[in-house]
Parts: sequence; C-alpha cells; structure tokens
Amino acid sequence: MELQNKKWTEEEFLKVREEVLNQWPTGKEVDLKEAAEYLKKIPDNKNFAKRLKKAKEEGVTLAQPRAGVALVDAHIELLQHLQNEGGADLLPSTIDSYTRQNRYEECEVGIQESIKEKRSMLNGFPAVNHGVKNCRRVVEAVNLPVQARHGTPDSRLLAEIIHAGGWTSNEGGGISYNIPYAKSVTLEKSILDWQYCDRLVGIYEEMGIEINREPFGPLTGTLVPPSMSNAVAIIEGLLAVEQGVKSLTLGYGQCGNLIQDVAAMKALVAQAEEYFKVYGYKDIDLTTVFHQWMGGFPTDESRAFGVISWGAATAALSGATKVIVKTPHEAAGIPTKEANAAGIKATKQVLSLLKEQKLETSKALEEEIKLIKAETKCILDKVFELGKGDLAVGTVKAFETGVLDIPFAPSKYNAGKILPARDNNGAVRYLEFGNIPMSKEIKDFNRELLEQRAKLEGRNVGFQMTIDDIYAVGKGSLVGRPEK
Amino acid sequence: MKNTIVLGVIGADCHAVGNKVLDYAFTEAGFHVVNIGVLSSQEDFINAAIETDASAILVSSLYGHGEMDCRGLREKCEEAGLKDILLYAGGNLVVGKQEWEPVKKRFEAMGFDRVYPPGTPPEQSIRDLKADLNLE
Repeated sequence: MELQNKKWTEEEFLKVREEVLNQWPTGKEVDLKEAAEYLKKIPDNKNFAKRLKKAKEEGVTLAQPRAGVALVDAHIELLQHLQNEGGADLLPSTIDSYTRQNRYEECEVGIQESIKEKRSMLNGFPAVNHGVKNCRRVVEAVNLPVQARHGTPDSRLLAEIIHAGGWTSNEGGGISYNIPYAKSVTLEKSILDWQYCDRLVGIYEEMGIEINREPFGPLTGTLVPPSMSNAVAIIEGLLAVEQGVKSLTLGYGQCGNLIQDVAAMKALVAQAEEYFKVYGYKDIDLTTVFHQWMGGFPTDESRAFGVISWGAATAALSGATKVIVKTPHEAAGIPTKEANAAGIKATKQVLSLLKEQKLETSKALEEEIKLIKAETKCILDKVFELGKGDLAVGTVKAFETGVLDIPFAPSKYNAGKILPARDNNGAVRYLEFGNIPMSKEIKDFNRELLEQRAKLEGRNVGFQMTIDDIYAVGKGSLVGRPEK
Repeated sequence: MKNTIVLGVIGADCHAVGNKVLDYAFTEAGFHVVNIGVLSSQEDFINAAIETDASAILVSSLYGHGEMDCRGLREKCEEAGLKDILLYAGGNLVVGKQEWEPVKKRFEAMGFDRVYPPGTPPEQSIRDLKADLNLE
C-alpha cells in the first residue's frame, strides 16, 4: 500500500486485517460484530471516551497511573488496588516490551517464568498472548475505563485484541511509537500500521461505539522542546481523525518551567483546533493529557513525591483533562502496587487543592504561547510543503531531512541533529537547530536565552549543558548548573 | 584494541538517553566506543566484540527484563572465543524495586565482572574499567 493521508477503504482494511489476525493464535478470537455487541454493553462509566468528555465538561483533571504485570490475576489485583486504594480515575494496562516488538514467543517464556518464580518477569501485561477473553476479564473486574499504554510500532493485532476485549482507549501513533521506541522500523511502515489502528477505531465509531485514541505526547521524555512535541502531536492527531477517530487526546510531557508548560498545553489545544478547522474535520472531541516529569527521578522517595506533586500542580493549572502519574519508585524502575497508589494519592491531593485555580494570563504566558505557536507553525508549514500537501508523505520526508527531529531518539530514521538545553528559568530551548526550519528571529531568541545562561554559569553554550540538564532533576534541581 | 569497548542496550529495551550519555562520557575518557545502540541481542554484542577486538562489553538495561536478557551471555562469549572479555551490566536490571545485593549476586553468578545499580554516574564505571584494564 502506498502511504498517503487518506481514509482506508473497506477493501484495503479487510485485506490487511486477514494477515494481522493470523499473526498469533489469539487473533482468531476477534470477531468484529461480536466485539461491537460486547462494547455496546460496556457502561458509560467504563468508557474511556465518555469519561474524558465528562471531565472536560466539568473542567476537572483526572489521574491515571501506568501499571501492568505478566499474569492476569496479578494484573487484576494490581488494577483493583490502584482503583480502590490509590483512587485512580482511569486505569491503564501497560503492555510489556516483548509484545511491543511483536515477540510473542518471548512473552510466552516470560509468562511461564513468572508463574515459576511467583513474581512478574515481564514489565507489563502481554495482552496479545492473553487474548480477548482475558482482556475482558480485566475490564470486568474493575469499575473504571481501561486503556492500553505501550510503545509498539506495529500495534495492529494488539489494537484488535484490546478493543475487542473492552478496552476503550489505545495510546500511540505512527511517529510517537516508532521514533522513540524502535531502531530500524521505517516511518512509512509505522504510519501505515497506525492508520490501521486508527481506522479500526473509526470503524467502531461508525458502529456507534466511542473509543478514545491518544498519541504519545512526550516522545523521548528528555528535554523535548515543546514546539517539536506539539508539531508531532498535531500531525498524529490529523492522521488519526482522517481515519475516523472522534475522541482524541493530545499529550505533552512536563518540561518543568510552569509558564512554558502551561503555554505549551494552551498552544497545543488552540493550534490543533485551528488545523482541524482548516482541514475540514468536524465534531472532534479533543481532550488533553499532561505527563508528569518523564526524565530521571530522584532516588529518595520523599524527593520523588516533590517532583510528582509539581507535575500534578502544573497539570491542574494548565487545565489538562487528565494527568499521567509517576511513582516514588521511578528511579528504581517498575513500582510496587503500593508505591503506585501512593503516587496517585499525592497527585490527587494536589489536583483537589488546585481544582478552583487556573493560571491567570500574563504577559510572560502570552509571549510563551506566541513563541511555541510560531515555532510549531514553522515546522508544520515545512512538513506540508515537503509532502506537497500530503501530511503522511510530508512527515516521512520531514524526518529524512531533519525538519522533524526528536532529541535522544534511538531510531536511525531520526536525524538526531538538534540539541536542547534549559535557559536560566528552566524553560527548554533549542541549542542546536539542526535542519529545523525556524525563522532567524526565533533562532536568535533561543540562542540569546542560552547565552544568558552560559554567561551566568561562566562557561560556553554546549553539549555539557544538555548533559547536566538530563541529570539535574534526579539530583534535585531543574537547571543543570556546573558543580562548584 | 585494549581501549575498545562495546556499548549497548540489551533485549527489547529502547531506552536511548543513557546510552548516548555513556557513549559521550566513555569517548571523552579516551575509550574507543563501539555503540551498537538500543534493542541489541546477545549476538549483536558478541559479533561487535569479535569484529572490533574489544576488551569489554558494557550492557545496559533499563526496562526490567535484564535478568532474562542477560542470562547465558557469558557462556555464549566463551563459545565464540571471547575468553577473558570483561562483562559489565548496569541500570534498572530487574522488575521492581528489589534489594540491591541479591540482584548484584545474581548477575555476578551469571558471569558479570561488575554490576551497577540505577543512577550510577558514568565516572564510576570509567574508573573501574580503567583499573580492570590497567589503563592508568
């Protein structure tokens, strides 16, 4: 199939579908009509799209953890704990890393070893191996909507199984689940494969079943300048709605400077809505997700709670529809269910305290919004130009030429020429622009801010600043100042 | 070459940030770094070590599957003729926050010469590697 940003025909979809459902034996459990009947019976309080819409109307921010283990019963116990003890508003099922690489044989080994060792040997729930029936067992055992969260370049079979299994949201996208999560998957392939996932949701929508889709905002989660992540989010949003997605949640990962983070969220919503309007997409139910700090965390748990709470505060002040919660075990890896619940509780306490407050507009906030929008527009204009109007084609060409470029991404299809660093206020700026087509004014402004920092620190602007910034939050500060 | 090392992230793990930082830090410290990057199999590590005549393999794992992914690496190195090669492992090597000593012992029993807990600064492994290779 030739890549273009165009809704797949039924014929195209069904042809690929036959192959997808044969990738692993559990694929045979998926029957679209039967699944639609099952999904229709899911109550509104367990439907992800409906729950988000309600939160948006009420103007509240919901809290959602990440969580997943190898075995079904243990996974249910984990989710029930996060629901009952943690007070989560939305539930995840984080998918293990073998499934993300479509290595189902290795998942099977992980499942067997987990049974033998009586502890999870996988870092998530292998939903494809467990199949439709077990996904339904999970959703039936809880009172909240369930979403798959992962990092899978080819999520087609996974999407079929989880949606048929009653999970009413899927995270990911052709860019955001490839470039930060894979080494050698072409963008042509991952965008096509995610068009399939989006089209599947579109087909359910056409059958009257609301299913939410959430492109993964934070990308590598490491000093990604807001305009770069917003550009990717808007592209993935546009690609999704073309395939018939109606409930769309665009995301952003906390950078740490309050003004910049709130500005990024506001710019994201405003600009996405402008693009939907310009390209003729109507009735899109747009919500937002704010990710608490995705970079390195302090080992000390009390200090980790500080980072978590700052993320919760920023999420509330930015008006996010939901916030993805970190845990006090973040520095050590995968949390226990108790630590995970503790992260949600800390978050919800802050959300509740700030429920009535929003960040008042100010000159600084207005200027930051203006800057992020202008930077994002520079990138998106060039992407459309490269694709001669076709966004999917333009995206592939933009990565080839470094117009889209994500810092610290493992993919060989990413140019890796840009470098970020923080300014004196902790806002993330471009240190190296690589081939990103920004105006001279924007480039000069970014440079000037970093020169001001360099002057204060008595060193030159350079990669050492970036490295210091990567470790700074884990060590206890936002800006990586030189050690005295 | 004595100062040649193979660096990579093992298994289905795609954590790339630390990998890029280690590459930079070891290169700055005078090592010739052969960085095979993320999502690397045991075979990728071994092939790179043979091709470049490396004296150490540095395995990173951040995602929790390290225990399964690292098992058998020492035996495979020996089968491939890499008799005395140094094996280091570091990162979030197991699922969950576990006590460090037993984790370290498990990896040492697998044949790793040095094992590092989460958050170890690159300077420490650079110092250790220089000592192990008699470079300074």
